[in-house]
This record gives sequence, structure tokens and C-alpha cells, in this order.
Amino acid sequence: MQWANIRLFAGHFWRNATALKSFYLLLLIFILLTAYSAVSGIKNHITQNNIRQEHQVKARQSWEANPDKHPHRMAHFGTFAFRIQPTLGIFDYGLESFTGSTVFLEAHRQNSVNFSEATFSTGMLRFGELSLALLLQLVLPLILFFTGFSSVARDKQNGTLKILLSQGATWRELLFGKSIGLFAISLLFFIPILLVVIITLLLFENPEINDFRWLRLFIIGTSYLIFLFMISSITVIVSAISNAPKNALLRLLGIWLLLVILLPKSAQAMGNYWFPTPSKLAFQSAIEKEEIQKGDSHNPNDPHYNHLRDSVFAVHNVTKVTDLPFNYSGFVMREGEKITSALYRKHHAKLVDIYKNQNDVTRFSSFINPFTAIKLVSMTMSGTDFSSYIDFQDKTDDYRYQLSQAMNELQMEYISPKKESGSEGKAHVVGHEHWEDFQDFKHEPIAFTNSMKQAFPALLSILFWAMGTIGLLLFISKRAKAI
Amino acid sequence: MLYKLFLQQCIRSKEVWISLVLITLLGIVGIVIGNKHLQRQQDAIAEVKTYQEQHFDRQVSLHNDDLGLLLYYAKFAYINTLNPLAGLSIGQSDVHPTVKRITIKTFEAQKYDTDLVNPMNLQSGNLDLSFVIIYLFPLLVIVLTFNAVSEETETGTWRLVAIQSKSKLRFIISKLLVRLILLYTILIFLFFIAKLVLNLSMDVQFFWVFGLSMLYILFWFTVSFFIISFKKSSGFNALLLLSVWLVLIILLPAGINAYVTSKYPMPEALSTAIAQRDGYHVKWDTDKRATIEKFYQHYPQFKKYGYPTDGFNWLWYYAMQQMGDDDSKKQQDAFNKKITLRENKSNQIASIIPNMHLQLAFNQLAGTSMSQQLEYLNATDAFHEKLRLFFYPKIFEGKLANTIDWNQLVPEYYKAKTTLKPTKAIAPLMIASIVMILFSIPMIKRL
Repeated sequence: MQWANIRLFAGHFWRNATALKSFYLLLLIFILLTAYSAVSGIKNHITQNNIRQEHQVKARQSWEANPDKHPHRMAHFGTFAFRIQPTLGIFDYGLESFTGSTVFLEAHRQNSVNFSEATFSTGMLRFGELSLALLLQLVLPLILFFTGFSSVARDKQNGTLKILLSQGATWRELLFGKSIGLFAISLLFFIPILLVVIITLLLFENPEINDFRWLRLFIIGTSYLIFLFMISSITVIVSAISNAPKNALLRLLGIWLLLVILLPKSAQAMGNYWFPTPSKLAFQSAIEKEEIQKGDSHNPNDPHYNHLRDSVFAVHNVTKVTDLPFNYSGFVMREGEKITSALYRKHHAKLVDIYKNQNDVTRFSSFINPFTAIKLVSMTMSGTDFSSYIDFQDKTDDYRYQLSQAMNELQMEYISPKKESGSEGKAHVVGHEHWEDFQDFKHEPIAFTNSMKQAFPALLSILFWAMGTIGLLLFISKRAKAI
Repeated sequence: MLYKLFLQQCIRSKEVWISLVLITLLGIVGIVIGNKHLQRQQDAIAEVKTYQEQHFDRQVSLHNDDLGLLLYYAKFAYINTLNPLAGLSIGQSDVHPTVKRITIKTFEAQKYDTDLVNPMNLQSGNLDLSFVIIYLFPLLVIVLTFNAVSEETETGTWRLVAIQSKSKLRFIISKLLVRLILLYTILIFLFFIAKLVLNLSMDVQFFWVFGLSMLYILFWFTVSFFIISFKKSSGFNALLLLSVWLVLIILLPAGINAYVTSKYPMPEALSTAIAQRDGYHVKWDTDKRATIEKFYQHYPQFKKYGYPTDGFNWLWYYAMQQMGDDDSKKQQDAFNKKITLRENKSNQIASIIPNMHLQLAFNQLAGTSMSQQLEYLNATDAFHEKLRLFFYPKIFEGKLANTIDWNQLVPEYYKAKTTLKPTKAIAPLMIASIVMILFSIPMIKRL
């Protein structure tokens, strides 16, 4: 295999493709689409994050404006956590529109994350979202198919292939050369997008957050490069094994439709079918049932709490709750929060496992579908995937737990033990400076190592695909026929 | 005779057979998935029915002497029964819960609580029959028609046809007609299966869904007719038709969605949430009498319960809860207005894009559209109000829980109303087809 020949084929392919006027029209349209999706992505990112940050501040102001009051009232006053979109979300929206952005955090209640874009949408959202990632995952492969489908098949049809091969070129040089030529063309489309993303990252540079954005972008960029090389090679291979350009195009379009639309949809549908999600009622009542068994603080005759009371009395050598050195109902609530939170976490983890099983069907399908592989790498590395959503949920629930327990501690410490229960009025209150002392929720982006762990199978499958395509190129170059 | 020949010619090729079988299979898969969706809802309804009884029994046994406390916990189910057509067009019913359980406390805080959903499922979208019709049938139209004329030219039979047939136009149209009937047969077969599996009743809505699907397929034939009448090569036709498909089905809707989202952002949703929280919680520290006054402004009929301001009491408590709804009214209205704006804009744009129009029309017919979801939320609001008015006096009078007939408080049902006007539904598809045909006429004259 001579590099000079490969270069010759690549250069020849490049000249042929770029000689067409229609090619520039395609490039122009693509660049316009890039510009539109970049502008709307950036605009949306800024508006959304501004809205969320503003409301985070507003919610906090009203939290701090609370007067002296009973801490349990503050536990229920609660606070909001708003999800902040990661900067790379401009490139790949991922699940952003489907995950919800707001959760209300209060004592002994795990509220759902509400207000996703999908819940405000009229159903149009399901046609897809125009993001830079969509252009690379869906539109660019099609353009490459259109540009390269006749690369070998036409030479075969008009007989130039025989001449080329008889003049000393090898199949291997031809296939690698044309693949590289088509890959070079794909860069014409890819580089503008990459530049847009780099400029955006520079503009939104935020030294406070260390989210490894440049490393993330590097992994995304490299993966797309490998992906584009794969698509280019597959185009050339299909062209080489088809006897007419028309057949090559039809095959390539079939592949596109199967891998981009049908397979991903069916994989997710199958996951959903095999691992059904419980209904919300079943989920909640399972927690409730266990709670009643373990200890229900709302039941005055609950054995767990009666036992607890007796042992606390024994330790402090008293017979009435009002004789204890701390506020007993704060103590009971602390215990209740501990029990219900642990139960909730257990059941929620089970639910997330079901989701993960559903998604695993998609994740493993990336080994037979490079389009799924790149999609997963792209959104995981952008921080807009399922794991970053769950990460947000977990962080808000941790915060919620700390908030309620901090309020329960305040109650135990500062509210007179003589007061049996009740949290209204001005008689038993805690100074309002405590509200300010409790830090506001701050959304930290998902850790890079976590994203890496999530993206690992997909990254691996991209590597497999890269090796597979090169293997296939070599294999076909031995088997291919010139006629 | 001629038609029989055309049919044979059409289904001779292996690719055509494969694609016909494939689309039928996918259609059936779509119906099965839709059925599963309906089934899941049926299960949830059965669950909530038995659960509600046990739930009340337990609450009454725990809090018989404190009805106010009982209603702090008691949840009442309100069910948005799905039209079986929702199995054909799942629409927004996968993201919005169809079984809601609410307490008589602030409604706004419970209004938007989501169901348990896996966002990955939402993103990949449902593979229901509406997807097969909207996305895949057009592709089949393309596969069947792109070379209907060019094939004759490429194999050299066109001259023969030109001499022998009376009218070249009639020749092309009959060729296309055979293919159209073939696709209609598949469509009828799929709807027949859907009727059996999903237990659909043959009502007006059913025929609307079917009729609109037929029109939609006809629209794609007119597009194809327009393009193949240029008499370019098969490759060129395929390429152009697929580009049209890509633009109409993927790029335009995605672009329009981006436009609508960025034109109408929804800060109102978050403002409502905060206003609702503050509306209620701040009242713990403000003058009790003022809160009760405000409550009586809303419900003058309860004035007779007076102004109990000593210590904790349920009248004051539920007055505070009420303020969560009342004080966030302005934000709620702004929020609803925004949603309606979005809905209107989308409908407006969709009316010139057949596939988007069809999706929205399907959802509307199946009761799974955004606007019907809002109507359901409004009905839930009314249901909530009914519960409040039923329980408020009993709580304020300090009645015991066992004086209430809890068996009578069973889950209630809501049925979505379809307000699709026939002319409005058909017109966009009709006009689109006619426009394509008008475009084609000058082309045909040159044939």
C-alpha cells in the first residue's frame, strides 16, 4: 500500500466532489442550519439559565425574609432547586427538554422534578430538536451518503475501475484513498460546528465551575472524528460492493433509516416493554406500607415510636416528654425523617434501576449501531444525559434531607421541651438569623469521572466500530470485484 | 387488465415486497405498543380504585376525631380516561399523568406533579401507529413511486408507451393509482388490526383518523407525482424526494420547535411555583384575622364560622392553604396565557406543514393533545373545588370522620372532549395536495 497512491485517490475524490455546484449549495444550507441552531441553542441556554438563576435568587430572598419562627415551619416552607443547564448543553440538548427543571424541597416529602419543556410542548417536540449535535448525528451522515454513494460504483459502471486497477493501483489504496477523501469533505461540515462550540465555551468561560468542559469537548470532538471516518468508510464500502450507484444509494438510505430512526426507537421501546415502570401509586404505596411497618410517626400507638420513647425516658430518667432536656417532637421528627428518607431512597434506587435496565437496551445496542454510540457519548459528555439528571435528583434529595434535619436539630435545641407540639404562633420561635446560616442549594455539575463511567461502553463501542471499519475496508479490498 | 399488469410490475421487485412487509410489521408493533400504553393506564385505574378504599379506612381509624388532620393526608383520585384512540396516537399522554391523586390543600402545588417517567423513553418517542403513518408511509410512497416514469425511460419502454397509450398522463396516473391502492390496502389492514386489538369503536373520531391518514398518503403521492413528472433519472428523483422527506419531517418541525420554544420561554411556570409557596407559608406569621378575612372574601358563605384566632385551628389552616392558590392567581393566569400562545402558534404553523398538522390532529382526535391536557387540569381544579366545598363546612364544624360516607367518595372520571372542526382538519391536507397538483399541471403538459 503506497501513501502516494492513497493521497492521489483522496485528492481526486476531493476535487471531483467539490467541482459540483450542488455541493456548495449543500454546504451553504448546512452552514445556515449550523448558524440557526447555534444561535437558537445559545439564546435558549442564556434565557433558560437566567430564568432559573433569577428564580433561585427570588426563592432564596423569600426564604431569608422569614421572621423568627418555629423551625418546623421553615422545614415546610422549603426551598426550590433549579437545574442549571451545562454549557455544552448548547451543543447537545440531550434529555434537557424531557427532564424537568424545578423541584420543591421540603421536609418529609419527596416532590417530583416538574416543568420540563416536554410538558409545555404541543407534541411537536417529538419530531426532534434542532441542535448542533442533531446536525452531526443525523444530517451530516446523509450528506456524506449523498456525496459518496457513487464513489466506487460509478467507476465500476463506466469501466474506469478496471483501467485503474490494471495500471497498478490496488483495491486497498483505492478504498482507503476514497474514504479519506470523503472524510476530508466531512471536515468541511464538522469544523464550523466545532469552531462555534469552542467560541461558545470561551464566551461562557466560568473559572468557578470546574466541569472539565475542555476535556469533555476533546472527547466529543475525537469521537465525532472517528464517527465521521466510519461513516465515510461505510459509504465507500457500500459503494464498492454495489454494482450500480443507484443501488448503493438505496442501500445507504436503508442503513440510515434503520440505524437512525427505527433501531433506536425500537431499542428503547423494547427496554420499556421488558422492564415496565411501576405506576406512581404502586411506587408510593410500597414506601407507605414499609413505613407503617418500620414506624409511622403519625400513628399515636406506633410500636416503634413507643419503644423509642420508653428508651429515651429510661436514659434520661424521666417519665414525661416535657421533662426531657430537649424538644421531643423535634427528636421524633428527626427519627421519622431518617426512616422515610432511607425508605424513599431504597425505592427510588430500585426505580432508577428499572430505568437503567430500560436504557441499557439502548446502551448495548450501540455495539450494533454506531449512531446510538455517538449519540450516547455526545450527550453524556455534554452533561445532558440520564446520569446527569439522576445526579441532580440525588443532589437535591441530599440537600432536602440536610435542610429538614437541620430544622429538626434547631427544634430540639431551641424550642422549649415544655412545649409538647404545635408550630404556630410567636411563642416558641427560633431567631431568623438561622435561616441565613443555612446555605442555599447550589447545583454542581455532574463529576467528569461519573460521566466517563457512563459513557464508557459507548466509547468502547466507537473504538470497536473504528477497528471494525478498518478491518472491513481491508476485507473488502481482498474480496471486491472490478466488474 | 392494464391495472393487473401494473400491479404485477410493481410488486415484482424484492425490495418492494420487503418494504411492504416491513411497514405492515412495524404498524402491528406500533399497535401493540399503543395497546400496552392503554393497558398500563387500565391497571393504574384498577389499582387506585382498591387503594382508595383502604386508604380512607386507615385514615378514618387513625384520625376519626380530627377531620382537619385527616384531610391533610387524604388523597382523592381523578382520572383522565383515555380514549382507545390514544393507543394509536399516544401524544402527550406519556408525559402527563392520567391518574391524579389530590388533597384539598393548595391545588397549584399539586397541579403539575409528574408521573414516573424515564426521560430516555420520552426522548426516543413512541413507536405508535401514528408514527408509522406520519414518518414511514411517506418513505414507502417514495420507494414505490420514485422510478415509476424514469424506469420506463431507463429501460427503453417509454417510447413504446408514448406511441401505444392514448394519454401519457393517464398512463402515469394509473401506474400511481395502483400503488396508491396497494398502500391503502395496507392502511385498511392496519386499521382493521388496530380496531380489533385496541377495541376501537367505529365512531366519528375513528373515521376521522382513518380519513386523514388516507388524505396524508394522497398528499405524498401528489408530491411524488410532481417530482417524477420532471422526467429526471431515478437517482435524481429518489434524492429529491428523500430530501423533501428529510426537510418536511425532521428539519422543519425541529426548527419550528426551536423557534416556538425560544419565542415563548416559560418563566411563568417557576414564578407560579414560588408565588404559590409564599402565598401559603407566609401566612403562618401574618395576622390570622387578615387571612381569615381574605378567605371569607373568596367564600362569603363561610362567614358564619367567625374569626377564631386563638392558637391553631383548621379554619385558619385551610384559609392559609387557600391563599396558596389565591395569591398566585396572577402568575397562574400569565402561565396559562403563555401555554395557549404556544399552542396557537404551533397550530398556525403546523397548518402549512402536512405532517405536523396530522400529528396535532391525531392527538386532538385521540384526546392526547396539549390543550386537552389543560382542559383536564381545569376539570381537576373543579373537582378539587368540589371536594373543598364538601369538606370545608364539615371541618369547620368539627365533625367526626365517621359521620361522612367515605364509600361514596370513589375515584371520579374525566373524558376529554374533541373539538376538532372537520373543515379545519381536512383543509390543510386538501390544500397541500391541490397545490402540488396545480404545480404539476404545467409539467404534465410537457410530457
